[in-house]
Amino acid sequence: MAAWEELDEALRDYQATCNGNERLRKMQKDWSKVLHFDCEDNGVKFTMDVDHGEIVSYCQGHAGVPDIVVTTDSETFCDMFWGDLNPVQKYLRGEIKVKGSQEDVMRLDAISYIIWPD
Amino acid sequence: MSEGSAVAQESAGTGLRRSLGLTGATMTSTGLAFAVIDYIAVVSILSYTVGVSAWLAVLIAGLLVLVVSGLFSELNGLYPTAAGIRLYMTSAMGERKALITTFTYLTSVVLVIAADAFLIGSAIQHVIGGPSIAAYAWIIGLLTFAVGGNLLGVRMAGVVQTVVTSIVLVSTFVISVVAIATVHGGYSHPLGLFHKGVFHGIQALIFAVFLYAAFEWVTTAAEEVRKPAVITRALFIAPAILFVVAGIFSVALAHAVPRGAVHGSAYPQLLLGKAALGELGMLWMLGATMVAAMNTFNGGFLVASRFIYAAAREGILPRAFAKLNMKAVPWVAVVSLGVGAAVIAAVVFATRQWLLLVAVGSVLEAGIYAVAGYCVYRLRRKEVDRERPFRLRFGDLLSIFAIVVFGLLALLGAFSDPSHPSHLSLLPILVVAVLAALSTGYVLCIMPSVRAKAAARAAVARPRRRPSREGTHETG
Repeated sequence: MAAWEELDEALRDYQATCNGNERLRKMQKDWSKVLHFDCEDNGVKFTMDVDHGEIVSYCQGHAGVPDIVVTTDSETFCDMFWGDLNPVQKYLRGEIKVKGSQEDVMRLDAISYIIWPD
Repeated sequence: MSEGSAVAQESAGTGLRRSLGLTGATMTSTGLAFAVIDYIAVVSILSYTVGVSAWLAVLIAGLLVLVVSGLFSELNGLYPTAAGIRLYMTSAMGERKALITTFTYLTSVVLVIAADAFLIGSAIQHVIGGPSIAAYAWIIGLLTFAVGGNLLGVRMAGVVQTVVTSIVLVSTFVISVVAIATVHGGYSHPLGLFHKGVFHGIQALIFAVFLYAAFEWVTTAAEEVRKPAVITRALFIAPAILFVVAGIFSVALAHAVPRGAVHGSAYPQLLLGKAALGELGMLWMLGATMVAAMNTFNGGFLVASRFIYAAAREGILPRAFAKLNMKAVPWVAVVSLGVGAAVIAAVVFATRQWLLLVAVGSVLEAGIYAVAGYCVYRLRRKEVDRERPFRLRFGDLLSIFAIVVFGLLALLGAFSDPSHPSHLSLLPILVVAVLAALSTGYVLCIMPSVRAKAAARAAVARPRRRPSREGTHETG
């Protein structure tokens, strides 16, 4: 089980990696979304704000009205944000649950694919 | 909201900013089912029936499909995700069988895209004239337009999709009513579904089931609905709408257009439009046909290309299919679908065997409904304690009923060909067998090495980045 401090570290790295990737920023320039994340094992919740492809902020707790809600355990979130797992495999096994439009789900995975191509 | 670990105020609820309501979900389901090829499916039904009795086949098929609505509602409740079909099939029958079934089923999407492109090309060529090869030029033009739109990330918004579907349904309904009201003559054999014999009546039923094909794809929108029950309701309402529209279209077509003109025609809806309102009616139905194709191209390319992308990301299809363009569109998947559809359309154009596509589609669809019955039956035993927001009443009995009835319909459909003088042919079973053999061959012989390569790539691509801590477990 990962505490908020670990998630925070992973998110900080994820934010820097995403925002530093020119191709991703260009690809996602028309994508502005509020994402809510729920850790089902320890109840930690956090929010990410994406504005024109840039992760402008993230914070603990749920803020605003989400476009996407992602639910899984805290360890999976940590590994996902560090790029140590392929989120699609977890999603197709039902271990990551997503609420949101199919287009947004696709975009969310595209982020991982662009910054950490296999 | 500030960066880092600042704690924000909790939002009052977790409702999404934008979500799909009952109207949107119902229209999505109806729009996915009502393709241009449905007009041709009605022609196929007319081949096996007399008078205006085709409506009865549409009704009985609709009632059978309501059982399917119940089955998919239960499965969707178990796995409310766009990946649901993969999850419940894998759980019920194992991964390899699930993948073989899914890949074979996916080919029906390409068939429908190809069929619609062919039928619209033929309809346009019929209206504006010119050499017959012009029809294929139209087909290529339409597919290029559809592929281009997809590559540019153009998608129909939910409201537009609802409007588009409504236009197609209302146009078909109104033209049918006008034809019935204005063309004089009797209505023979309104209940004579089995007048040509029981076997022909059952064959008519097989093609009538195809009229509802793909309505169940609305379950892939499970992650964007306001409440899970929305999908269930849409699955029950959409077949009713489809019955009303397709049923009245079948009656109007049988009543207002001579059988000789209908059989062998790739554009029966234009003939009905002309019978109802002359040139205006024909142009009206041409417009409706093109609008219907927008739905097919939008839904078909989107569903199929995203499935291919996810499969490539998972490592079960070559990684090239996961390549994204700058609009985050899996361009290799989209282009491959477009090329595949163009090739199939070319074969249909050369052989004039468009009714064969209906037959193959009917077999695949009836087959998948039988598989849905098996999944419900199996998962009720395997996943007894899993939460079921929707539990089909008499589910055990109805799942066995679906396996038997739709299994038999698929089997009979595999030998039914309305374009053949005897209405029987080995062509449908041959095409389905080739598709199934290709899927099986891929899953058994090629996929293991594709998967092994993906795993090897992932292992050597980069070292684990997450700092190790006490109590941290590796996942993935």
